[in-house]
Amino acid sequence: MSDRAVAVRALHAARPRSTYVRWSMIGFAALTTWAWWAGDFDVADFLSPRRMANLERFLGEVRPYPLHGRPWDWGVAWHWAATMFTDGVRARAFELPSGAEAMAVTLAISVAAIVLAGIGGALAAFPAARTFATPQPFLPGSDRSKAFQRRAWGALLHGTRGLLVFMRSIPEYVWAYLLIGMLGISAWPAVLALTIHNTGILGKLDAETVENLSPRSLAALRSVGATRRQVAAVGAVPAALSRFLLYFFYRWETCVREATVLGMLGIASLGYALSEARVRDRYDDMLFYVLLGAVLVLIGDLVSAIARGIVRRSA
Amino acid sequence: MARSAALPRRPFPLQPRGAVVIAILALGLWSFVALDLTWAQVLPGADDFRQIGHFFSYAFRPALTFPAEDDVAGRAPLLVQALSAAKLTLIFAVTAISIAAVLGIVLGFLASTAWWAGDPSGARTTLGRYVRRTIAPTVYGATRLVITLMRSVHELIWAVLLLAAIGLTNVSAVVAIAIPYTGTLAKVFSEMIDEAPRGPSEALRAAGASPAQVFLFGLLPRALPDMAAYSLYRLECALRSSAILGFFGWETLGYYVKQQWDVGDYAEVWTYLYALLALVLLVEWWSGGLRRRFVA
Repeated sequence: MSDRAVAVRALHAARPRSTYVRWSMIGFAALTTWAWWAGDFDVADFLSPRRMANLERFLGEVRPYPLHGRPWDWGVAWHWAATMFTDGVRARAFELPSGAEAMAVTLAISVAAIVLAGIGGALAAFPAARTFATPQPFLPGSDRSKAFQRRAWGALLHGTRGLLVFMRSIPEYVWAYLLIGMLGISAWPAVLALTIHNTGILGKLDAETVENLSPRSLAALRSVGATRRQVAAVGAVPAALSRFLLYFFYRWETCVREATVLGMLGIASLGYALSEARVRDRYDDMLFYVLLGAVLVLIGDLVSAIARGIVRRSA
Repeated sequence: MARSAALPRRPFPLQPRGAVVIAILALGLWSFVALDLTWAQVLPGADDFRQIGHFFSYAFRPALTFPAEDDVAGRAPLLVQALSAAKLTLIFAVTAISIAAVLGIVLGFLASTAWWAGDPSGARTTLGRYVRRTIAPTVYGATRLVITLMRSVHELIWAVLLLAAIGLTNVSAVVAIAIPYTGTLAKVFSEMIDEAPRGPSEALRAAGASPAQVFLFGLLPRALPDMAAYSLYRLECALRSSAILGFFGWETLGYYVKQQWDVGDYAEVWTYLYALLALVLLVEWWSGGLRRRFVA
């Protein structure tokens, strides 16, 4: 065997290995195989002539109403879309909000929710951070406090974390469905559903940020006699703010996306317009609101990217 | 007065970061006005409060069996039904993620720049120059457009579209989740590939490797741990997406949450919510363990 082959073998033998990672891979492969086998997926049925005929009917119905059964005409389609955007649908039996209004309401839902969740997440981050929720915050290894104090802070830490886990494990859509029943019809159920779920996520991410702050300067503040609240306000928050903001905008993008579906509750959002159009079999109108939602998501991504750029540069 | 005069004058103290915070708060205010949100609507009256308390009190006593009057002979026990709903939720999520991961790697490769941009070897032949100047950027742009379209439409909307176009089949549920997840994974994968350390790929390129070889042996191995960890995180999200597909007729966990909520059986609602919680926590714990080992 040549020297090179030996060296390559040695390198190969010395590669980092982990039983956990290896068994995870095997486990995931097994899980996937099982899921495909157990899922009762009938692809032949999915592509059957009956379903394809249905698809063809659907594709005919998503054409703008004035163009049903007629050759495609951009002028007519454009005029229809412009009317939908400014006026919506005003039929005798029902009406759909204008595209512009539905977009503005959807945007407002996402903004209201993420602002509340940003505040909630930043507040929850401190009791959920190991370095803060102890009798001696940001002072490692010098804990001579009483056992009951340690236990009380431990209870607060785990209580907050448990609550955050619960808030983020339940999907926004489920929260919204439950909240409509409790709060009645207003924009609140949608806003609160997004707020609850995202507070759970932002609280976790922000708490990790607080835990990863460099302990030196915070410990120095403590050692000159700063209280818990002073260290948080003067030391931790300014140091963590940039990261908080990055997470905030990252979650806002998701909020915009989710806000396009949370709207089955009678307020004039995109989700409401979409589901109203759907139950009335107006697939052309439905597709219009779907595309408007996609545009809103793209604008949100763009604004978020610009804002994150500003935050990164100023950090 | 004297004291403040003694302090050095600071320039306008607002950093761009501070301006961003103020803009956020101003927009938040606008949204509250635009939506007509008042605190009175959300602060519950005594009656509402009792109902909300009633619902949450069942958090501590979820149903474990059907009530006697619902327990028709031959019906599977409640926990078996919850388990089978959890199973379907898991099946949809896992199959959708497995499709999205494979397509995500392919589209992520096409939407990354690291394997063709700045490749000096490509410029040597006419064909290489043509690929690098025309074909690669076109493919890159087109792929970006496709993945943006895929992920900017929510999985529930894909589900509604597929329901109308195809109908209620298990395949349409998986496709509905797989489309936006493919878009997200492709976008994130392409960023991970582009941000992976360039050392190995430069060395391979210097040794005369083709762009495909550079990708497979130089870029992909460095990005793979991050990609695996992110895919597992997305599996967690897919579980939630799969659960809420139940609100549209597939018999995942959301189906029973909606059904039991509508008839006011809060104890059973909590049973299904806890089943979802357990599924999500299990995957979170697993992916957390993997992430720690990848980082170490």
